[in-house]
Amino acid sequence: MRIFRILYFKELKTYFLTPFGWLILAFAALMQGLILSTTLEAFENQAQSESLIYLNFTSPFFWFYFLFLFPVLTMRLFSEENRSGTLEGLLTAPVRTWQVVFSKFCAAYTAFAFLWIPAIIHFKLFTTITDIPPPFAPGELYGAMIIIMLMGALFTAFGCLASALTSSQIIAGVVCVGILFVHFLLGLVTTFFGDQIAAAPLFDFVSSQNHLRDFSRGLLDSRPLAYYLCSASFILFLTHHLLDYRRWKP
Amino acid sequence: MALASAHTSTSQSLSSDSIKKNRMIEISNLSKNYGRHRAVDQISFEVARGEIVGFLGPNGAGKTTTLRMLTGFLPPSSGAARIAGKDIFRESLEVRKRIGYMPENVPLYTEMRVKEYLRFRGALRGLSGSRLRKRMGEVLETCGLTEVRRKMIKTLSKGYRQRVGLADALIHEPDLLILDEPTNGLDPNQIRAIRSLIQNLGQKHTILLSTHILSEVEMTCNKVVIIDGGKIKAADTPTKLVNSMRRAGRVTVEMQAPIPEAEIAITSFEEVTKITSESLQDGWNRFTVFVAPHTDTRAKLGNLASQKSWPLRSLSRRVGTLEEVFVELTRKD
Repeated sequence: MRIFRILYFKELKTYFLTPFGWLILAFAALMQGLILSTTLEAFENQAQSESLIYLNFTSPFFWFYFLFLFPVLTMRLFSEENRSGTLEGLLTAPVRTWQVVFSKFCAAYTAFAFLWIPAIIHFKLFTTITDIPPPFAPGELYGAMIIIMLMGALFTAFGCLASALTSSQIIAGVVCVGILFVHFLLGLVTTFFGDQIAAAPLFDFVSSQNHLRDFSRGLLDSRPLAYYLCSASFILFLTHHLLDYRRWKP
Repeated sequence: MALASAHTSTSQSLSSDSIKKNRMIEISNLSKNYGRHRAVDQISFEVARGEIVGFLGPNGAGKTTTLRMLTGFLPPSSGAARIAGKDIFRESLEVRKRIGYMPENVPLYTEMRVKEYLRFRGALRGLSGSRLRKRMGEVLETCGLTEVRRKMIKTLSKGYRQRVGLADALIHEPDLLILDEPTNGLDPNQIRAIRSLIQNLGQKHTILLSTHILSEVEMTCNKVVIIDGGKIKAADTPTKLVNSMRRAGRVTVEMQAPIPEAEIAITSFEEVTKITSESLQDGWNRFTVFVAPHTDTRAKLGNLASQKSWPLRSLSRRVGTLEEVFVELTRKD
């Protein structure tokens, strides 16, 4: 646990003690602000039957920036150590591979969680600034944040996997975007082909768009919880073995 | 008694054996394959506690692979090795605690400051609190880094980075230091500095260092292991290696003697394998006598000259260098 803590804080420093992490935070805050203001414009023009949170998170712009946060946060994690050779120094210290993988994942995940602070502030400030009751229920905000954190766990794990695959940050980033995009498309299959196809329940089950819609209405469901946590663990397990590949390759 | 001792498991008896004999590294039949290519082929050697061992070989001989196996970075394809009595594969974590390893080209986190880096590496090795602070002060001092301790590693020159790598390997007071080409890419002054540092460290630590700079080994090491094509070619002290070399058995005599008569007289000695002779311009003749290794014919040749009253002005045995040993053992022809 001590080793994990040391590695975790070392990794966290690279996010918060360099301009890198703050740039991503600025980008995320900007996008969140833009989406909120366009959603508010829609409210201004006509009456809406859905809440602000729901419209905010189902906005088409949301996925456009959300999916790009992960490669930026994770592409450096393993590929940079691999390229510069520091991985050798790290793994010949008395450190277990899972401690390395898990500490890097947790640091990236913490950085990801920080990116939602501006969004929460935006929604909390709504009443203070406008002096009207917020056009959403608190449960909807919590629901949306919970599902974003769950999706974040799996998508960060995908990023770790992509980064462990290669010693080039760029390739790691591209692979991560590729995986996330395919995952995103799987969620759109029933939209394109209708829910009459045999595998429709399966596609609905993995559809992040559906999960986000449900949770941002305040409908919490344990199936996405199980789906994201289990698959994130599995992807991290794969990352662990990928990092140890040199130990078991023929 | 014999029955009782037979019951103890092999590994237990091996490790107690190694502590008794004070062995730091025991390698037996260690091999490593990369696909079909066999990089290290059944090597075996031992290093006693307190020795400074030079691990020599041409590029691609399997030096780095061997060191990586010892540090637990790569698993061996077959064979076994023990460090301080611990198996490198089964007790990898225990072994890694006892090793200070400086990889080839010294990879460092260049965006960290020297002190910050050493604090991180020391903490990973289990140091904390006042002990960590004390050790950091000590290694900064020994490696001559006190002045640059607040600088970022990326702003340091290669020589200083090498010292940071060495400080990193030393911080937890390891039993064994493994250095992969510690003087690679340094200028002569820096090489000297690192070399004297290694010599000082040798008083407290066992050191295994790989290199292809032979003068370095002659000056610092008390044992040499030469590897080529994944196989051990020689393992001995530098002096013994030089003496057992083929070309060391070459004696040059300059005397005023008739060539045919002298040749017959000299070849009658049993250890002489070959003789060549040439007339020098000033009336003297030079004879080059090839003898079997580990023999010295100089006394006999001196006696011969005085018996026959041939004037003798020079009688010398070729002093070999480690470089010649190295070339002889690793030549491809």
